[in-house]
Amino acid sequence: MAALDRESAYRIALLALVGLLTGGLSALAAIAFVDAVLWLNDALFVSAYARIRLEAAPILLVAATLAVPALGGLVVGQLVTRWVREGRALGPPDAIFAVQMRQPPPTLRSGLASTLAALVSLGSGASVGQYGPLVYMGTLIGALASRLGRRIPDIQAVAIACGVAAAIATAFNAPIAGLVFAHEVILRHYSLRAFAPVTVAAATGYVMANVVFERPPLFLVEFAGVRHGHEFLLFAVEGVLAAFLAAGYVALIVRAARAAARVPLPAALRPALAGLVLGVVALELPEVLGIGKETLRFATIEGAFSAGELVLLVVAKVALTALCLGFGFVGGVFSPALLIGILAGALFGLVWPAVLPLAHSGIVPYAICGMMAVTSPVIGAPLTTILIVFELTRNYDLTIAAMVAVVFSNLVAYRIIGRSLFDIQLAGRGFDLSLGRDRAILRHRPVAARLSRDYIALASDDTVGTLLARLEAEGRAEALLTDRDGRLRGQVHLQDAVARPDATPLAEVARTDAVVFGERTTLWDAMIAMRDFIGEAVPVVADDGRLLGVVPESAVIAGYVEAVQDLRREENAAA
Amino acid sequence: MRRLEILVVVLAALATGAAADERTLTVLTWGGAYEASQRAALFEPFTEATGIEVETVHYDGGIEAIRRHLSGEGEPTWDVIDMIRADARTACRAGLLEPFDPAILAPAPDGTPAAEDFIPGSFGPCSISHIVFATVIAYDDRAFPGAKPQSVADFFDLEAFPGKRALRKAPVGLLEWALRTYGVPRAQIYDLLSTERGLNLAFRGLDRIRGQTVWWKDGAEPVELLRSGEVAMASGYNGRFFHAQVMEGAPISIIWDSALLEFNNWAIPAGTPDRALAGRFIRFATASERLGALANRISYGPARLSAQRRIGLHVTAGIPMPPHMPTAPRHLGEAIIKDHAWYAQTAELRRRRFEAWLENVDASN
Repeated sequence: MAALDRESAYRIALLALVGLLTGGLSALAAIAFVDAVLWLNDALFVSAYARIRLEAAPILLVAATLAVPALGGLVVGQLVTRWVREGRALGPPDAIFAVQMRQPPPTLRSGLASTLAALVSLGSGASVGQYGPLVYMGTLIGALASRLGRRIPDIQAVAIACGVAAAIATAFNAPIAGLVFAHEVILRHYSLRAFAPVTVAAATGYVMANVVFERPPLFLVEFAGVRHGHEFLLFAVEGVLAAFLAAGYVALIVRAARAAARVPLPAALRPALAGLVLGVVALELPEVLGIGKETLRFATIEGAFSAGELVLLVVAKVALTALCLGFGFVGGVFSPALLIGILAGALFGLVWPAVLPLAHSGIVPYAICGMMAVTSPVIGAPLTTILIVFELTRNYDLTIAAMVAVVFSNLVAYRIIGRSLFDIQLAGRGFDLSLGRDRAILRHRPVAARLSRDYIALASDDTVGTLLARLEAEGRAEALLTDRDGRLRGQVHLQDAVARPDATPLAEVARTDAVVFGERTTLWDAMIAMRDFIGEAVPVVADDGRLLGVVPESAVIAGYVEAVQDLRREENAAA
Repeated sequence: MRRLEILVVVLAALATGAAADERTLTVLTWGGAYEASQRAALFEPFTEATGIEVETVHYDGGIEAIRRHLSGEGEPTWDVIDMIRADARTACRAGLLEPFDPAILAPAPDGTPAAEDFIPGSFGPCSISHIVFATVIAYDDRAFPGAKPQSVADFFDLEAFPGKRALRKAPVGLLEWALRTYGVPRAQIYDLLSTERGLNLAFRGLDRIRGQTVWWKDGAEPVELLRSGEVAMASGYNGRFFHAQVMEGAPISIIWDSALLEFNNWAIPAGTPDRALAGRFIRFATASERLGALANRISYGPARLSAQRRIGLHVTAGIPMPPHMPTAPRHLGEAIIKDHAWYAQTAELRRRRFEAWLENVDASN
């Protein structure tokens, strides 16, 4: 049993401090962000409460509806193209990447500009979510706080997870969901070293939201309970249907981004175009503007919508969210998914009693199940969404109902789109988490990082005699052939040359089909390629064919073992 | 500078104490039992303390009377107005009121500054809230010998609680109540009522009782309608129901669920002859002791916390007053705080929609 030495005590104190600090700051940032969005929505006639002020001046209302999202898009376009180095919205995928690859997240300037662009997007009514930007703010704050504890391994990952957990805990008033989200989506493991500070951060966020600022809950719903056993079967069916809707939503977002690239319009102007389209639709359907918290509430009220209206709204919201995100508005996918899901769930709850002659418990459980069953596969967080229901409604029946729907939805959606939209986006950037963290990380570490220049290079017209002399002198069994420009021409092994006359040119005994790595060959590819490899080292060549060096077999194995050990150590770290 | 000036004047006035002053103070207020309570709890003690007589002028709300007085011939003679918060806001915007200086307010007896002692939102740019009243639903106890109605949802439930309903013929309160029956949380009511869908839902809720509704205009009517047994439930003002129930023994009970809370504010008309004197009166009338004394005469809640602790037995009837207050913690927890800004912005819309709905009712009946 290890005693609590000074180093451990130092680490525990520092981790707690990082949790507290990151949690507190992220919670404050989240509250400020949400309030700023609300204020902008009121000032810019996006919220229903503000729009009713223009009720007597319909022309002004039309003008504001058309102009605000379009002008907002114009500002967002400028912010992103000028100030965000990556030239795109930053969000949860960047947090996941930084944590998994242990790389610093995008620069502070990019992060702040992206956050500001998100604020303008949401403030001007774009159909995007606010939790993605909040998660990214948590990431920024976590990355800054991690500088406090450089001596602790994986401190950056832990600190980012703290920031994310606090942001979610604050925004949803749901500390357990925040805690789980950080592990489920960002860290993807449950080590005690991360768990403890992240818990501190989530609790801090909750205290900030509830005790210090007394924020109202995100939504309140009155529900007596699920009255009939057969309804759980229907929740499962609803989950399966929700999976298809979620998959469609994700596919459309991915496609819209590709389509936007083909539009003959500068990237800086694309959000404005999306804003204009959104404004035109909003003239008829104001519900599509912004986060739609009124619509969220109406969806749980029996009779607020007809089935036709629900279909129309689901279709419009899916299409416009894909359009807004694809065309460069900055924001998340979570809030629109909640809205799409709750509307679709309400539709399910409205339609099935007309088809099946069975008793039911009203529209509320179906709306809530739909909300979570659509959202969870999109963000790849089944546990988080179940917990959000529990913490928001504090209703056991609703939680169990949502659990059934969420699980079936995730099972089906995984077959269609994989784990989440975030993983799809990361895979698009060459970081594929679909077969586990090990593989994703191995596939992202270039083997060239372990390059050695310790090799024998000879020219093709050198003779076997020269080769044997060099090999003997340096105690090697193989050499590389290069031409005058340094391009690799082949490899010569001792056993191929030793029986030949000394005057034989090396070109005759060289092998040209041997294993060769490129500049970007990853550790994973190297491991696969070396399955049938016999020899000392594998040459690495640049794209233009020049020989860069060699990677000894032992270095590849060492790299693999290191990566895997790193992961296991991180996953099992205590303090 | 101005704050300092007022302080100096107030202090100087206090220093001269009861030195007889030739002039009188003119207060605009609402008459009836309310004014009688004010006279006993506020005006007479003020005269005793300062030697200044208080005269009242009857006021029915709105801002037109103030506008006429200020633009009329001669110098304005009114000093202080007791007006509802929404009117104070409108009058302030129209420039009919002096800006309000919170520094004139007295701290609580325990030294808590006024800013922390008044209910949040009490401080307006031109006025200070002093009492809270509620528009509530009450029922005739005789109409429901079995289970009693408990919530606003019961008001809309003609099956469980049959009988005529009385509602004020104005789009005030009833939309909120109708929406509450769908389970909408109180905090979200005005957001939802700002949408076409929310208004439609509210009117659809009202449809459920429209065949059974009797309309009233004057605040005394709902009490009479209940007393005579003409209706089983009615909306009305909590003070009037209290008076009928407790002071006169009428079989009326109040449902506090979703009570619509409103505020009465003190304000000083623009160009008043003696601003310092008006400020001195407001300081006096909003002191915890005076507000407590008022609340022990009529069931309107003081807008400051230290005064709420002074609510005890009714001075003549001897019954405990705290349970009758709109500000009782139990009532506050289920009340709807009337959104005055929303009301000001939707006046025309509400009127139009309400009248259209009424016509529709008449046509279909």
